[in-house]
Amino acid sequence: MTMREKIEEAAARYPDQRSAIMPALLIAQRERGHLPGPVLEEVADILGVERIWVYELATFYTLFHTEPVGTFHLQLCDNVSCMLCGSEDLLKHLETVLGIMKGDTTPDGLFTLCTVECLGACEMAPVMQVGDDYHGALDVARMDALLDSLRATAGRVASVEHASARPPGE
Amino acid sequence: MPKVTIDEQTLEVEAGSTVLQGARRLGIDIPTFCYLKRLPPLASCRMCLVEIEGQRKLQPSCATAVTDGMVVRTNTPLIDETRSSMLDMLLANHPLDCPICDKGGECELQDMVMAYGPRRSEFHDPKRVFHSRDIRLSPVIIMNVNRCIQCQRCVRMCEEVVGAVALGTVEKGMDTAVTGFEGSLASCDQCGNCVEVCPVGALMSFPYRYKARPWDLAETDTICPHCGTGCQLTVGARKGEFMRVRSKQEHGVNRETLCVRGRFGLDFIESRDRIKRPMIRRDGVLVPVSWDEAGDYLRRRLSTVTNKAAGGLASPRLPNEVLYQFQKLMRTVFRTNDIDCSSRWSMPFDTLGPLLTAFYSRAPLDEVIGNNCVLVVGGNVTEENPVTEYLLRDGARRRQTGLLMLSARPSRLDADARVVVRVPPGGEAVSIAAVVAGLVAAAGEALSGDALATIEAKIGRPVVNAGGDGPARLAAALKDAHSVTVLVSVDLLRSPEARATLQQLNNLLQVLRLLDKGLAIQFLFDRANQMGAWDMGVLPAALPGLRAVADGAVRTALARNWGAEIPSEPGADLDAMLDLCVGGRMGALYIAGTDPLISYPDRAFVQRALGATDLLIVQDAFLTDTAGLAEVVLPAAGYGEESGTFTNNEGRTQKVRKFREPAFEARGNLAIFDFVAALRNQALRPSTQGEIFDEIARLVPAYQGLTQDGLGADGAFTKAVPTPPAGEFFAPPPALKETGRLMLITGDGLFHNGYLSERSEILNTVANDPYVAMSAQDTAQLGLSDGEQVIVRSAQGELTAQLKVDRRFPKGLVFVPENYRALRLNSLMRRGEYPCPVEVQKVHAALEVDRTSRIWRGV
Amino acid sequence: MFEQVLLKNVDVPGGHLLSSYEAGGGYQALAKVLREYTPDEVVNLVKQSNLRGRGGAGFPTGMKWSFVPKRTGKPTYLCCNADEGEPGTFKDRIIMERDPHQLIEGLAVSAYAIGAETAYVYIRGEYVTAIRRLEQAIAEAHAKGYLGTRILGSDFKFAVHIHCGAGAYICGEETAMLESLEGKRAQPRLKPPFPAVAGLYASPTVINNVETLACVPHIVVRGPDWFRGIGPNKSPGPKLYCLSGQVRKPGLYELPMGIPLRELVEDHAGGPLPGRKIKAVIPGGVSAPVIPQHGLNVGMDFDSLAAVGSMLGSAGVVVIDDSTCMVKVATRIIEFFHHESCGKCTPCREGLNWVVKVLRRIEAGEGVPGDLEQLEKLCKGIFGNTFCALGDGAAMGLRAALAHFRDEFVAHIEERRCPFH
Ligand SMILES: Cc1cc2nc3c(=O)[nH]c(=O)nc-3n(C[C@H](O)[C@H](O)[C@H](O)COP(=O)(O)O)c2cc1C
Ligand code: SF4
Ligand code: FES
Repeated sequence: MTMREKIEEAAARYPDQRSAIMPALLIAQRERGHLPGPVLEEVADILGVERIWVYELATFYTLFHTEPVGTFHLQLCDNVSCMLCGSEDLLKHLETVLGIMKGDTTPDGLFTLCTVECLGACEMAPVMQVGDDYHGALDVARMDALLDSLRATAGRVASVEHASARPPGE
Repeated sequence: MPKVTIDEQTLEVEAGSTVLQGARRLGIDIPTFCYLKRLPPLASCRMCLVEIEGQRKLQPSCATAVTDGMVVRTNTPLIDETRSSMLDMLLANHPLDCPICDKGGECELQDMVMAYGPRRSEFHDPKRVFHSRDIRLSPVIIMNVNRCIQCQRCVRMCEEVVGAVALGTVEKGMDTAVTGFEGSLASCDQCGNCVEVCPVGALMSFPYRYKARPWDLAETDTICPHCGTGCQLTVGARKGEFMRVRSKQEHGVNRETLCVRGRFGLDFIESRDRIKRPMIRRDGVLVPVSWDEAGDYLRRRLSTVTNKAAGGLASPRLPNEVLYQFQKLMRTVFRTNDIDCSSRWSMPFDTLGPLLTAFYSRAPLDEVIGNNCVLVVGGNVTEENPVTEYLLRDGARRRQTGLLMLSARPSRLDADARVVVRVPPGGEAVSIAAVVAGLVAAAGEALSGDALATIEAKIGRPVVNAGGDGPARLAAALKDAHSVTVLVSVDLLRSPEARATLQQLNNLLQVLRLLDKGLAIQFLFDRANQMGAWDMGVLPAALPGLRAVADGAVRTALARNWGAEIPSEPGADLDAMLDLCVGGRMGALYIAGTDPLISYPDRAFVQRALGATDLLIVQDAFLTDTAGLAEVVLPAAGYGEESGTFTNNEGRTQKVRKFREPAFEARGNLAIFDFVAALRNQALRPSTQGEIFDEIARLVPAYQGLTQDGLGADGAFTKAVPTPPAGEFFAPPPALKETGRLMLITGDGLFHNGYLSERSEILNTVANDPYVAMSAQDTAQLGLSDGEQVIVRSAQGELTAQLKVDRRFPKGLVFVPENYRALRLNSLMRRGEYPCPVEVQKVHAALEVDRTSRIWRGV
Repeated sequence: MFEQVLLKNVDVPGGHLLSSYEAGGGYQALAKVLREYTPDEVVNLVKQSNLRGRGGAGFPTGMKWSFVPKRTGKPTYLCCNADEGEPGTFKDRIIMERDPHQLIEGLAVSAYAIGAETAYVYIRGEYVTAIRRLEQAIAEAHAKGYLGTRILGSDFKFAVHIHCGAGAYICGEETAMLESLEGKRAQPRLKPPFPAVAGLYASPTVINNVETLACVPHIVVRGPDWFRGIGPNKSPGPKLYCLSGQVRKPGLYELPMGIPLRELVEDHAGGPLPGRKIKAVIPGGVSAPVIPQHGLNVGMDFDSLAAVGSMLGSAGVVVIDDSTCMVKVATRIIEFFHHESCGKCTPCREGLNWVVKVLRRIEAGEGVPGDLEQLEKLCKGIFGNTFCALGDGAAMGLRAALAHFRDEFVAHIEERRCPFH
């Protein structure tokens, strides 16, 4: 399906096109990687809604990115439960091994490092989301292993965003 | 009605009233930021919190409905502390750059802190800075995000009142910022209402930026010169120099809102093509002379043309007093009824007059919009009368008004309408006839047998469904309404079918009256004082008060008062006058404040006509195209240089105030009329504005009883003197011929509506290039794409402009906005042919003009 | 051991599949209501059960349902609050990932009760697995006729749609969720009108949490008396507790409502980590004021926790031990609220920004005398004056931390450093 078709299909679930802006942005972000102005315009045009509405949502919600992110978006939870279980040290570790600060992307475009609010998986704190997947009970060793395995997949798939666009039911 | 006690005072309020409304009625001051009177409460700023007995927490008074027996306190220590605390928090990150802020001195935050704020702040941490530079959102709007207090008034104004949805709010929490799509408002209406409602110096007017401190401005409350809505505004001038327009008061029809023309389009008064001195034509060229020389010359020339006809044409933008005096001058000094008040069309007064006298409702728009159904006929109210449109939107969204739209041009308001009937260009009369037929059919029993017989005798058996199911749906909605308001765009008058359209409107109104609907009708004039011009009798067949020239009693009474005879035969209207000109039978043609050469829909013809006139006198503030053809040019006071009154579409008479003296050697229009009358050894009595107003109030029935002092902050309403309708029904017009051709219609765009807006530098900046709007279907068929330059060609001429594909446009319709000077749009038109058949095609790539310099791109 | 009702399927391999759900008696509640009860009777059953909302506020569910007006000429909507953003909370995720049909059945029965034909499940966008599992379960339920038209041969028709959140905690607030569903920035709405009267698209709308809805089929099958018999009468039922933080056995526990917090933490979750002592516990997600060690005997139910100045909230129990700086915890929590403030109202938006700046300073050893008084003053300005409960929760939590652990704050300011570093 084209992006337009996917968006139109999602929009059919609502009595009002404006409701479909969020789903449409999620679809567009999966298709295009991130959401620069022209993509927002495209979404607005497909749905026939005001552009500013699309812009408002694209910036209000943290999962939408108007700027490009790396192939692997490392989103480390640093909320209370994860903090209590050592996420601060993990962040320092990540900053050291990746050579970037939180919020930045590695020069090879592979990793973007961010901290996020509670991921709702505190039973496995500290937790990090990469793409669609949660990785829990992390410590320095597990984190290193995870980075290694991510680097290994990077050779195989161009973008984890596409890789994870699997059909329902995994 | 529930009773509430606020600070020990008890008050009965209407059910549903809020505590805030109650308190304000008692004169108790409750501070607010987010509250906007015309919109539902937002209750986000928390300035208006009050104590309500029995409630654990403080409650926002703006959003709390009064219940019977409620006891409210607004003056306790806790409330003082809370208000101070809210302000303390707002100030924490506020830049406090008041000395360089345009809002300084009239800033609500400043005032509120003075009244309720903490005396000192304990905030010592670094302040948040969003942007170190202000953001130029559009040519007229500039934003300082750091000063924003997030009251959301601007965004709500833009979306909910203006309907433009150009401003929005991005990010969240402390990062929240008001802005346009991708940081630009290039495609907004530029109405600046967001700037007006901004309580602080966040959204600012760019043209006014750093120009003055508010306390240095002399402010004058007056009326907008641009369209017939008649908005109130306040002009700020410093030492006579125009600085800005604000609309800070909740008065008049507009209650604080304006459109781009009102807010930013008054700089035309500084236009460089002011006429500085009188001019007379010598050896083919206009040369400046003194008033005395001009007088001598004119006296001589006038005496040479007495054997021929004389005619007068005055602008419907002039004040009532000037218009009244003009017709008096023409009738009693020039002894002619050949006068008219539009340079664009001649109206069929025989049809219009009875319709006006029988149905026109001189009542607040706000009130008539409260009717069950509002039918908007013709035009594009969004662009022609933007502030009227805001009120219509308010009706549809917040007052359950059913909007019914019937027009060839789509408008933004269609989205809020219950029924939209898109008629083919020029097809209004046919469509209204179909609505009438549908209504008669739907009404059934509700119409008495007699009435039905009369109607059927004239209009025949109703043919329902003529023109799709739109008219039928519209008729059904009208049938179900208990009260109906019809708003009529004047673009109907420019068509040769005007008479038929008015006749069908007459039929519609009569049927509605037979069905016992509450009825109101108003015109949506695009000229500030069109209603006044009609009322003042600047018409060939009507004397002041819309009374027929033929009516001997009226004529005699007026003649007695004026001390001079009034010709008894109805005169020539604009079309007929031009015919006289072309036929070499026009002696003196006196044109005041209007420019037919630009606006009459047949440039070639009007040029010929004016050229064939013996003596063309033009009295104007600006050197118009028409003035360029004149033999005598008299410099008149412009808008803001002479006081008077306007009567707006609602029939509301309001004061237009002078805020400076006439520029250069210009004289007031009234003084010039005196000057001209004196050349014929006559005197016009009375001759001052105030006395003339009093005479109008004495002699024009609808104005009876008005006093200058009585024109308070909201003006005063003229009173309809209803005459029963004639009860006549008119036969339906013949069906529209399918030509299969593209048909050009013209009208006002948002940024331009006449020769004043053309002279506004700011409007010219925001308006960008002229455009041609067409349907997606037609453009696809012609292989044209949005944004490209196209040629529009008629039998008479052609023009080039940028194509705008409008998905809402019907097939076959081509629209080009008027008053983009460079276009000379009227050179495409041929007299009596409207809509005008055209062809549209691509401009050869090589011919494409370089437009880049004219398009605003932001910074 | 307490009988596992809500979590019965979660550890069963393939427990998320319809076959497994059916094998455990799934969709019998739906069949039963369609066969035996009128909608009003279902509302009454839920009323009698004394089920209170599991999303945080503990509003009686049956009562909420009974506010829905009938025959308004507009559709009625059911919205499931699966936004689960409250830090320390993960129960809804686990239900949706491992037993999605329990939720779908709960939705169907509830929709029948309130007369809704459409439900939107608002799931936070990060929950990709839950979203996929629920999508799959909806498809299965459709294929089997538990969703769609003429459900189980009755006249009842019902569709469930998923709406993914995109990372904004405030969407958990029910009216902000409605705004978000309507495609707007998620900012809370003014009440009244309440959603039951004018909610989604200005139509009557019921919003319930995942766990709340999951309880409903069990109430139908086992009867309201069974439900009311578990835990305190006014706040009864089986309850999911999310344990996390500095505790030996973090995880999701299903235990009776009202279980003492100490028992929950020390017996069920294994107590503190080796060599550590529990210092404080946050009982209901970070919006719930912290309870110091000596207060842990409180019962975990809405009323008991409210009585000690805290709340059950989402039952996200976060355990903090003596190795941790409370100023740091308080700062992190306020940072969270500051980050998630929607920005609508002044006290939350501006006040929390100020609070964060002061707290960060104190934690960094740069606090000055007067800072604590300033914090208290700010709390006073915020608490009770915000538009929604987010700002209130933040101020309440900070007040509790300041009250119970004032010495730690003072130590930071006096020693000009964090004593825990
Ligand atoms: C700031 C804030 C966040 C909330 N977050 C959630 C949430 O993530 N999940 C939830 O179910 N309820 C949340 N709530 C509570 C909801 O507003 C609402 O009370 C609940 O969804 C109602 O469902 P219930 O009656 O089944 O508990 C939140 C409330 C507030 C004020
Ligand atoms: S309390 Fe916070 S989250 Fe709630 S409305 Fe106010 S700003 Fe938004
Ligand atoms: S005016 Fe009431 S909260 Fe802003």
